[in-house]
Amino acid sequence: MPPKQGRELPSKESALFKAILKLYEHKQYKRGLKQAEQILKKFPEHGETQAMKGLFLSHLNRKEEGYEFVKKGLRNDLMSHTCWHVYGLMHRADKNYDEAIKCYVNALKFDKENMQIIRDLSLLQIQMRNYEGYNETRHTLLSLRPTNKMYWVGLAISYHMLQKYDTALNVLSAFEESLKEQTDNVPDYENSEMLMYKNLVIEESGDYQKALTHLEEIRGKVVDKRGWKEAKARHLLNLGKLAQSEVEYRQLLDQNADCHAYLEGLLKARGLVGDLDGTQLEKAQRLMNELGLKYPRSHIIKRTPLKYVKGEAFHRMLDEYLQPMLRKGVPSLFVSIKDLYTNAEKAKTVEEVVLGYKNSLKANASFSGKAADGAEEPPTAYLWVLYFLAQHYDYKRETKKALECIDEALAHTPTLVELLMTKARILKHGGDSEAAMKTMNKAREIDLQDRFINSKCTKYMLRNDKMEDAEKTITLFTRSESADPLADLTDMQCMWFALECAKSHVRKGEVGRALKRLHQIEQHFCDIYDDQFDFHSYSLRKMTLRAYIDLLRVEDRLRGHPFFYEAATIAVRTYIALYDKPKHAGSGGAGGAEGLSEADRKKAERKARKAALKKSGESAAATETSGTAAANAKVDKDVDGTKFLDANYLDEAEKFARNLLTMSGDRVEAHILGAQVYTRKHKYLLALKSVKRAYALLSKPSASNASPQFAADLHVAAIEFWNAVNAAKEQKAAPVPAPTKGQETAQYPTQSPPLHPTVVTLLDEEIAALFKVATPAAFNTEFSKNAVSSPESALAAAQSGAPITILDSHCSDVKRMSLQTAISIHKGLSSSPIADRTRADKFRDAARTAFPTATYFK
Amino acid sequence: MTTTDPQPDVEAKNSMQAKYFRKALNDLTPNNVGQLKALNEVIFTEKQSDDFYKDAVKSEEFAKLALFNDICVGGITTTKETVEGSDKTKVVITTLGVLNAYRRMGLGAMLLDHIITQSEEAKDKAISEIHVNLQTKDEGVLAFFKGRGFAAKGSSGALVRLINAPVSA
Ligand SMILES: CC(C)(COP(=O)(O)OP(=O)(O)OC[C@H]1O[C@@H](n2cnc3c(N)ncnc32)[C@H](O)[C@@H]1OP(=O)(O)O)[C@@H](O)C(=O)NCCC(=O)NCCS
Repeated sequence: MPPKQGRELPSKESALFKAILKLYEHKQYKRGLKQAEQILKKFPEHGETQAMKGLFLSHLNRKEEGYEFVKKGLRNDLMSHTCWHVYGLMHRADKNYDEAIKCYVNALKFDKENMQIIRDLSLLQIQMRNYEGYNETRHTLLSLRPTNKMYWVGLAISYHMLQKYDTALNVLSAFEESLKEQTDNVPDYENSEMLMYKNLVIEESGDYQKALTHLEEIRGKVVDKRGWKEAKARHLLNLGKLAQSEVEYRQLLDQNADCHAYLEGLLKARGLVGDLDGTQLEKAQRLMNELGLKYPRSHIIKRTPLKYVKGEAFHRMLDEYLQPMLRKGVPSLFVSIKDLYTNAEKAKTVEEVVLGYKNSLKANASFSGKAADGAEEPPTAYLWVLYFLAQHYDYKRETKKALECIDEALAHTPTLVELLMTKARILKHGGDSEAAMKTMNKAREIDLQDRFINSKCTKYMLRNDKMEDAEKTITLFTRSESADPLADLTDMQCMWFALECAKSHVRKGEVGRALKRLHQIEQHFCDIYDDQFDFHSYSLRKMTLRAYIDLLRVEDRLRGHPFFYEAATIAVRTYIALYDKPKHAGSGGAGGAEGLSEADRKKAERKARKAALKKSGESAAATETSGTAAANAKVDKDVDGTKFLDANYLDEAEKFARNLLTMSGDRVEAHILGAQVYTRKHKYLLALKSVKRAYALLSKPSASNASPQFAADLHVAAIEFWNAVNAAKEQKAAPVPAPTKGQETAQYPTQSPPLHPTVVTLLDEEIAALFKVATPAAFNTEFSKNAVSSPESALAAAQSGAPITILDSHCSDVKRMSLQTAISIHKGLSSSPIADRTRADKFRDAARTAFPTATYFK
Repeated sequence: MTTTDPQPDVEAKNSMQAKYFRKALNDLTPNNVGQLKALNEVIFTEKQSDDFYKDAVKSEEFAKLALFNDICVGGITTTKETVEGSDKTKVVITTLGVLNAYRRMGLGAMLLDHIITQSEEAKDKAISEIHVNLQTKDEGVLAFFKGRGFAAKGSSGALVRLINAPVSA
């Protein structure tokens, strides 16, 4: 350890060093670097200067050198808070928050009261959701600066997040007390927000009575009147003071009659939610009638009653709802009504009513009967009726009728983009994605300035694996000045595009490229999470506390977003397929390299790599010649994403799967994938947990778990799991065999390490309880008995060894299948382990008639 | 309003007209020229070339689209030629069409009147006549043009309307 006096510089250099710190604050990195070097000329081993030099270097795009100097500096002066702080700053800039926290903690050992460092540390802790640490740091901050309001509030938030509501409230109250003594007034908004935040904390503590009392107390000081009223209505509702709550919700509706939350609040206050009985239905209907008269312009109030009425009344209300909309031309009309279709009777009424309009408009330019003179409907009414019917039939997957309607509409008015877009969607649903794409392109061509259609068209091109066309189309709307228009999409975190690209790459067997896109999406989510960093200080400064709490919670649930969910499920499947491939080549669903021999596959990969190198070389050459914008653009050295193919597949899959399990734990699919990953990782207890959870979820009805495919997939995954456990039990404490051919890297142990006897006992017990039969084969037989329930399950049973005949009844009933199901059945019939040509062909013929537009069966 | 109402009063009728029978003209631009193309493909049997539409976009006020309730349902395109033996210009209507379902509501007249006004107000009074060569024998179409001051001229079969001519002509 260097002697302590090593840090002290002679007065001239000492002044210079202080100047350097200023230069850093003012972002004068070049000058700072020069001056640091000046000191180092005389005192080459001065640790703090070395660290500062490193910091300047890293800001001047010489990060590696920077780290070197920072580490050197630290070695020369391990007791310097500056050195530790600088090291922390480096980590923080690299978003290495855990490491940064360690550095800050060390820095504080040597300078306990350095406000800057303590503040920075607290930000890192909340970012990492280390609430305990955050709370401690916040205590320190407040004790050092007890007059600063930010530190009071920060401490309260830390207790709030630890769910220590009482302490949080005490902190806030103490702060309010101290405010009273202060002469300079706090701005109204900030004070109001703080009070409302306090009310929120009380509410979350569950003491609604206290929340209500408090709310009344602060009434005069709150500027967010609307927020105040909403809180009041909510507290009353939570307290069961329904009549009073109703009054509040009615007043809120007066202010905004199109707010769902208010209407729902009112219905709750009247006890009119959930499954309603006859009298309740009547009450709801009467209430909605009354509201409808009061707020004739509210859209949601017009629509909501349709949920409650039946029969004749429904018919009448439907007329009242639909006619003005069709007259006006509201493109979203069908969407606003289709949730009624869960009731088959209502769906039928809608069809009859709108078909009636069609005939009547055609004959008399009127919705019903003969129009009085001058009261004819505009010709567009007929058009919107056709448009509605096309969507209606499409919803019912009656492709032919849907096409008839939309074609008639297009002959009537070929210039309405919505018609072409709907036609494209109908074609897509009918299984002709190429015609769908062409139609969508027509829509694009008649309105070239519509970004939405342009994006849709791009999407349809990608669904058709027309990558180049898609890129050309999407770049019509990216920023023109950027050197690489596609990179612009990445900068803008355009997820749908990345996702569709990934799916297309998967279909084409370009696995590396697909994974690259999927990881790009994951990166976007990391970035979005990182972006909250600035708000930890900003929100406290500006006192936007309720919004800040919302933000923290949104960020916590971030990876539950549908984009992440989809990307992650595809990533897990792709990695599993990659992992499985060497074992039984050709069965991987993700591989376009399917069916190639190992040698061919290698050769193709080598070739692809070479091509990629060449391509990136070309673009590198191009950047040299073209302007500065291009020169700044990073050259992608791995267009094909080969680096992802060299990764450890199961580790990567597990990372995605873990996110799925924590953020989307209510979805069967997440647990099926979890089971598949953990089975392959020989983590049988975790696999078991996922299998069990998946069965539990399947037994409860829910929209996101409803697909019959899940039951089938779960069955396959469960058998796979069971077989793997049985194989693992066989495994004696023998050395893990050398990797077999095709698994160059030793990172994929295909055989399980021997299981601990306790684990074996536990697994045996659980498996017996779960499957209730002795063997996987017996389990499959049991499952086959129920296989009549869905073709997907029957297929899964057959693939797991049940006789193929159990599929026959389904196969002869292809008309009742969805196109998706029909395609997977045909794929199942024609590939191993079933591979029954006769049955597959016979099925295809039947499917061809059932799905005349589907190209798959052509 | 309900359609069963036997006698809708005049006010209601007018407000309905204003609200649900909205008519307007729109500029022809490179972004929406596809709509004109789509229209013409169903209105006329003869197909126009891509160059035709490229030129049409450049005609400024001498090409227009007609909107009904914000939907494009009609359009007019013209070219300019010099009148033989004169320093004057004639405007030749190349296409004028309104979708079948939207006829007899004044949209065709709106389009044509726009061209007539533009011709009358052209710089230096340089435009002396508007021509149209009808491909159809349709009486209605003829009536339409006659109603707007067009008359057969010479043996060419063209209908012509003079611009800024002395009333006696
Ligand atoms: C010619 C055409 C553009 C007229 O469009 P339109 O919007 O229906 O015409 P308008 O409603 O503005 O008609 C204005 C007046 O013209 C007369 N008119 C128009 N169509 C008529 C018809 N079929 N029969 C008799 N008169 C007619 C009427 O006087 C009408 O006024 P009114 O409806 O108050 O009686 C339309 O019929 C069309 O597209 N035809 C096919 C294409 C074509 O042949 N174009 C011609 C040259 S390229």
